[in-house]
Amino acid sequence: MSQTLVTVENLRIAFAGEGGTMIEAVKGVSFEVGREKLGIVGESGSGKSLSSRALMGVLPEHARVSADVMSFAGIDLLSASPRVRRQLRGNRMGMILQDPKFSLNPVMRVGKQIAEAIRLGARSLPSAKVRQKVLEVLEAVHIRAPERVYDLYPHELSGGMGQRVMIAMMVVREPELLIADEPTSALDVTVQVQVLEIMDELVRRRGMGLVFISHDLNLVSRFCDRVLVMYAGRIVETLDARRMHEAVHPYTRGLLACLPAIDGPLTPLPTLARDASWGEARL
Amino acid sequence: MTAINLTHAETRRQLRRARLGEFTKFARRFAGNPLGMIGLAILGVLLASAVFAPLLATHDPYLPDLVHRLSPPSFENWLGTDELGRDIFSRILYGARLTLLIVGLVVATSAPIGLIIGAVAGTSGGWVDAVFMRITDVFLAVPKLLLALAFVAALGPGIVNAALAITLTAWPPYARLARAEALIVRDSDYVNAVRLAGGSEFRIVLRHIMPMCLSSVIVRMTLDMAGIILTAAGLGFIGLGAQPPLPEWGAMISTGRKFIFDQWWVATMPGLAIFIVSLGFNLLGDAMRDLLDPHLRRRA
Amino acid sequence: MIRIENLSVHFGSAVAVHNVSLSVEGGESFGLVGESGSGKSTVLRTVMGLNRQWTGDIHIGDIDLRKARRRDLVRVAQMVFQDPYASLHPRYTIGQAIAEPMLINRMSDVDARTVELLEMIGLTAAHRFRFPHELSGGQRQRVAIARALSLSPEVLLLDEPTSALDVSVQAEILNLLNRLRRELNLTFVIVSHDLAVISYMCDRLMVMQNARAVETLTRAQLRAGDMQHDYTRTLFRASHRDRAGAGASAEAVRHG
Ligand SMILES: Nc1ncnc2c1ncn2[C@@H]1O[C@H](COP(=O)(O)OP(=O)(O)OP(=O)(O)O)[C@@H](O)[C@H]1O
Ligand SMILES: Nc1ncnc2c1ncn2[C@@H]1O[C@H](COP(=O)(O)OP(=O)(O)OP(=O)(O)O)[C@@H](O)[C@H]1O
Ligand SMILES: [Mg+2]
Ligand SMILES: [Mg+2]
Repeated sequence: MSQTLVTVENLRIAFAGEGGTMIEAVKGVSFEVGREKLGIVGESGSGKSLSSRALMGVLPEHARVSADVMSFAGIDLLSASPRVRRQLRGNRMGMILQDPKFSLNPVMRVGKQIAEAIRLGARSLPSAKVRQKVLEVLEAVHIRAPERVYDLYPHELSGGMGQRVMIAMMVVREPELLIADEPTSALDVTVQVQVLEIMDELVRRRGMGLVFISHDLNLVSRFCDRVLVMYAGRIVETLDARRMHEAVHPYTRGLLACLPAIDGPLTPLPTLARDASWGEARL
Repeated sequence: MTAINLTHAETRRQLRRARLGEFTKFARRFAGNPLGMIGLAILGVLLASAVFAPLLATHDPYLPDLVHRLSPPSFENWLGTDELGRDIFSRILYGARLTLLIVGLVVATSAPIGLIIGAVAGTSGGWVDAVFMRITDVFLAVPKLLLALAFVAALGPGIVNAALAITLTAWPPYARLARAEALIVRDSDYVNAVRLAGGSEFRIVLRHIMPMCLSSVIVRMTLDMAGIILTAAGLGFIGLGAQPPLPEWGAMISTGRKFIFDQWWVATMPGLAIFIVSLGFNLLGDAMRDLLDPHLRRRA
Repeated sequence: MIRIENLSVHFGSAVAVHNVSLSVEGGESFGLVGESGSGKSTVLRTVMGLNRQWTGDIHIGDIDLRKARRRDLVRVAQMVFQDPYASLHPRYTIGQAIAEPMLINRMSDVDARTVELLEMIGLTAAHRFRFPHELSGGQRQRVAIARALSLSPEVLLLDEPTSALDVSVQAEILNLLNRLRRELNLTFVIVSHDLAVISYMCDRLMVMQNARAVETLTRAQLRAGDMQHDYTRTLFRASHRDRAGAGASAEAVRHG
């Protein structure tokens, strides 16, 4: 777990606001990813997706990005040419976007798209073999009737099927670093467990690094090794996943308190009284 | 809840500013594409010469000067003179007006026609789609120049008729494109949301589906402009477009053809103008495609 | 309020929903849970009239869906779509998206109401002038909820309304929905894969698997684990096992 794969120091992302001012959406984020499962949780709009997109190099062009260090496997991403970054994205880094269907080609059958991903890795495979492999991986992510799904267009998939197709596409490429932005938010617990198993195996067997963004605190604490908690563009706390209850930051503690439980009371759920100071200092 | 007191005008203004912001972003990305900028510059020069032709021209483009007929490029006549002694430079400047007129007429008619037909066909599906698309197919099946020729032959030569003839052949590809885009968009959730809100199909096509078809049509249109100029010049060349003494570039080449070996400049200069302008439109179109094409963008 | 009888939906030869019946009382909140791909979204979309190929009977209030025109349904039922990225038009600002239904239905004070709705879901008036691609996933989902609320419908169909929200915002939205339901006597149908959310929000729920309804439970039955079907039991157990993780921490935080 120790080798560092990714180092990010003081990452800042800003957008032009009204009247020429800049609005910082990410305000100095630093973290490292080893060959481990790193969870990121946090407020909606706190910059989780932006930070991970910056790492991949797929931010909108008008975003201003700056960082002291941003490196992947010894490669300095800040000075890398667009070509190098594209190659990295093609092979060694993978990302499952928060919106699975957007990253699929809307006018191409999903089976074909997964087949393309497989061919990228193994060019010489005969097409019958590729098809076989696609069906296998669809089955691996627990899609019923993979034969039928092979021939569907992205808009004909259900929400959870879309997510699993994206996971399948990333998994067949076996990248060294996988960033998964809410990859299982539409899956029910049973399927979720089985799909996560596949990612877990890649981490254990191939030593992949996994950045796992999620809102599901239960899931993160069960599945990940470490957890970053983000609030308003900053990381406010880093925790051992299994020791969430030791959280000290009031935001994290507030989050945990908001969690509904199956047999919880029906009174209004506790909500957070957000404190302006949370966004400022780093504990 | 203080912000509720914003006046309507204020809302309008902010909305405009937001849209402007989007446009600035686009402009900035466009500025990062050198070839596209060259195309834009060429287009700018074309526009400027059309608008300021009377100021820039060194001679009257229509006034024959038989003494100086067919004189080579010189200090007096920068690009030489033609068989009637008219200054070619001035004629090309005035010709820019005709070129722009034709391109403008064609684009202003064919793109909306194609867009509307395609978007309506794609959105409604069923027999409407079938009928519209078969009509489109028929137009696509006939060779372009032939159709234009037949049309001009029937209506008689002239600039407006030439533009109409080109329109007739230019709209079907736009309809195809718009339909393909509409097919993707019409079942999307954001269009469904308008349906659930009770929006009429008319409103949906006009306000929600067409804007999504627009970018691919614009891209295609810019790329097509070069072709339109060439077709217009072609019609002029065979005498079915602009009529003499109008300084239309194609017609100019046509008359210069007789002197091509001895007085090369008469045909070459308008030819160069056509070449540069269509190059400009092509560069512009390529840049637009890189920026706007929804399918390319998605894969980025 | 909603009565569905023997609803079946086919896409080509594939069966997406097979013989599903359910009824929801006025003012009730009904949950739909089930396997991914089991047809939950399809049921909601069909109820809203977005699928043409279906068999069976659907009544909303006293509207028979077969005979209804879309206009009749507008003020009665609205839906929040599952995918927050697909449900906002990329060329319209957030404010326009929320205002559009009100403009279509010629309501007055649209601007003020838009701002009010935005603040209700935890965004600010300034967000009106943003485009969807300038918002995070959770912010978009909230905008979609605001849009559905803009026409004050009697029935609200919510397809995974909080799946892109962190638990603190989720708590706020769930509280908001509950408050509205109480105040306006709304009827909810909520799809979620989170049993805790369902148990908190819904009086009754239906479990779906493989295009079929496998069972219908009351909240009390769900909480007591009183269920017949294997799939439901697995779901229930898996959700309970969760509580060994953050759930336990949550307990610790709440009581400690
Ligand atoms: N293109 C953009 N222009 C301006 N602001 C943006 C842009 N993209 C994102 N933002 C803002 O940056 C903030 C962080 O967004 P981000 O998508 O990273 O949030 P997130 O943590 O992933 O939230 P969620 O959990 O809701 O997906 C948000 O407040 C969002 O509104
Ligand atoms: N337009 C369509 N064409 C073909 N098949 C479709 C279409 N829409 C949905 N389906 C199929 O119908 C089935 C049910 O889909 P639905 O979206 O209702 O599932 P769901 O229960 O909402 O799942 P999830 O929890 O993953 O969102 C899926 O197998 C899906 O592939
Ligand atoms: Mg996000
Ligand atoms: Mg669904």
